[in-house]
Amino acid sequence: MIKNSRPRIYSKFEINSILFYATMILFIPLVLVFTYTLNIEYSFDIKVFLLYLLGITALLTIIGVTIIILKRDKMKRHVKATYIQEFYYLVIISIFGVLGIIVLYNYLQGPQNYIANIFVILLVLFVFILLRLGRKYFNLKYTKKK
Amino acid sequence: MILTLKKPKISDEQLNRIIKYLAIIILSFGIVLLAIQFSDFWNWILGAIRAVIIPIALAYFSALIIFPLIKLLEKKGIGPRGFSLAIVFILTVGLIFVAFYFLTPLIINEIRNFFADDFPTIVDYITNDLRDDFIFGGDLYDQIVAYVNETNVIQDTVDQFVPSLIASLSGLLLPLLTAFALLPILLIFYLNDYEVISERIRSIIPQKHEKNAAELGSRLNQTVGAYLRGQLILMIVLGAVATIVYKLIGLKYYFFFGFLVGVTNIIPYFGMIIAAVPPIVYTFIATSGPGPLLVLIVNVVLQFFEGNIFQPLIMSHQLSIHPIVIIISILFFGSLFGALGVIFASPMAASIRVVYRFFQDLRKEKQKNSVVGANAP
Repeated sequence: MIKNSRPRIYSKFEINSILFYATMILFIPLVLVFTYTLNIEYSFDIKVFLLYLLGITALLTIIGVTIIILKRDKMKRHVKATYIQEFYYLVIISIFGVLGIIVLYNYLQGPQNYIANIFVILLVLFVFILLRLGRKYFNLKYTKKK
Repeated sequence: MILTLKKPKISDEQLNRIIKYLAIIILSFGIVLLAIQFSDFWNWILGAIRAVIIPIALAYFSALIIFPLIKLLEKKGIGPRGFSLAIVFILTVGLIFVAFYFLTPLIINEIRNFFADDFPTIVDYITNDLRDDFIFGGDLYDQIVAYVNETNVIQDTVDQFVPSLIASLSGLLLPLLTAFALLPILLIFYLNDYEVISERIRSIIPQKHEKNAAELGSRLNQTVGAYLRGQLILMIVLGAVATIVYKLIGLKYYFFFGFLVGVTNIIPYFGMIIAAVPPIVYTFIATSGPGPLLVLIVNVVLQFFEGNIFQPLIMSHQLSIHPIVIIISILFFGSLFGALGVIFASPMAASIRVVYRFFQDLRKEKQKNSVVGANAP
């Protein structure tokens, strides 16, 4: 039997689901990374702020999942050869997300000596996940000549 | 006797072409020489043109950034044009206002703190402790200080530099203020009648060249628009990342230094280096906070990310020009147009490449058509 070497092209449903879940997973770090630069810790109690953020994330996740389920059939009919723009979005939120996780670690008063180690581990992990996702779902060929 | 006709080294056609080009070059020199004689007149004309060009160019560049958003809204069924334009315009103005409202006090506060807390320390360090840390030895330091004191070179330079700076700034301020005051009005009219204006410009071009000119214009719009949009996103993303990382490592004026990274990123390759110098110098002098090595490492990592991840991703290979070409274009356009030339060196180089590629494609198409024509029965 001849093995089909052509990659499977995923519909907008799968891609949008990945983007949405990634955004929701990184939502708290993404908000924290920007509030951190504005010194939000001096204006609010950070634990209360985190609790509110958690509530907002849960609410947004429920709304988002409902919309995705409702629009599933319509999105499944949309297919693109590559999802480069969507992948860029994923890369940018991942970069800010990694920084946000470090900020969260800082807020939760983790030992300061390990910040650099955690940062490097997270970065390697995210790069690995992004490369795998990009190749499998977003149909990107990293070694392709321009 | 056999007479053999020697084939001439240059054909008549080539000779004609050489004479034609020589005549054009000599005539061009003549025109330049003639124009130089009336420099006052040309300065007057150029001044008038500049007064018109600056606001129009600003409106054109802003339209290239904003117009895709209007198109997107219209594609989603939000129209007519006036309504989608109003939404995008209000959002843009609101965003600029919010950014100024929140960010300006932070940056001003940091600058004020620097002059209140750290500036006296820096002056004290330069006057008292620098001699001990001077890398070339105390003797050379003494000689330099003696020379500075004898010749009063710093005072003279400041005396010369400040009035000329004030004069050039005041000369630049009025046209810039006029341009910024006119920009919203021009932008509203330009965006509202975007297609009509393009059509009118098209109608000026002779019918013979209309199709080619429209194609070239569309390619140029696409390239410059992609560059401007990409550069804006790149500046925001890098500025934000730098600010966060600087704060994480405990650098004091992280907001100002991060802002500097974002702003200087408009200059390819050199921008990041320019932005890295102030925080590194500051960490050398500051008594608390991270060391210069850590700040240097952060900047090198940022540079790596900018060149290998952000730039290819955000610019999406629209401006894949060789770095040497970009550096040459920065030097060339920088010496021609100053700071504006440095900022717009990359899109100018990209535009030249687009024009060159366009004529290359045109020639190829012509050759292909002539071959098809010759082979036709």
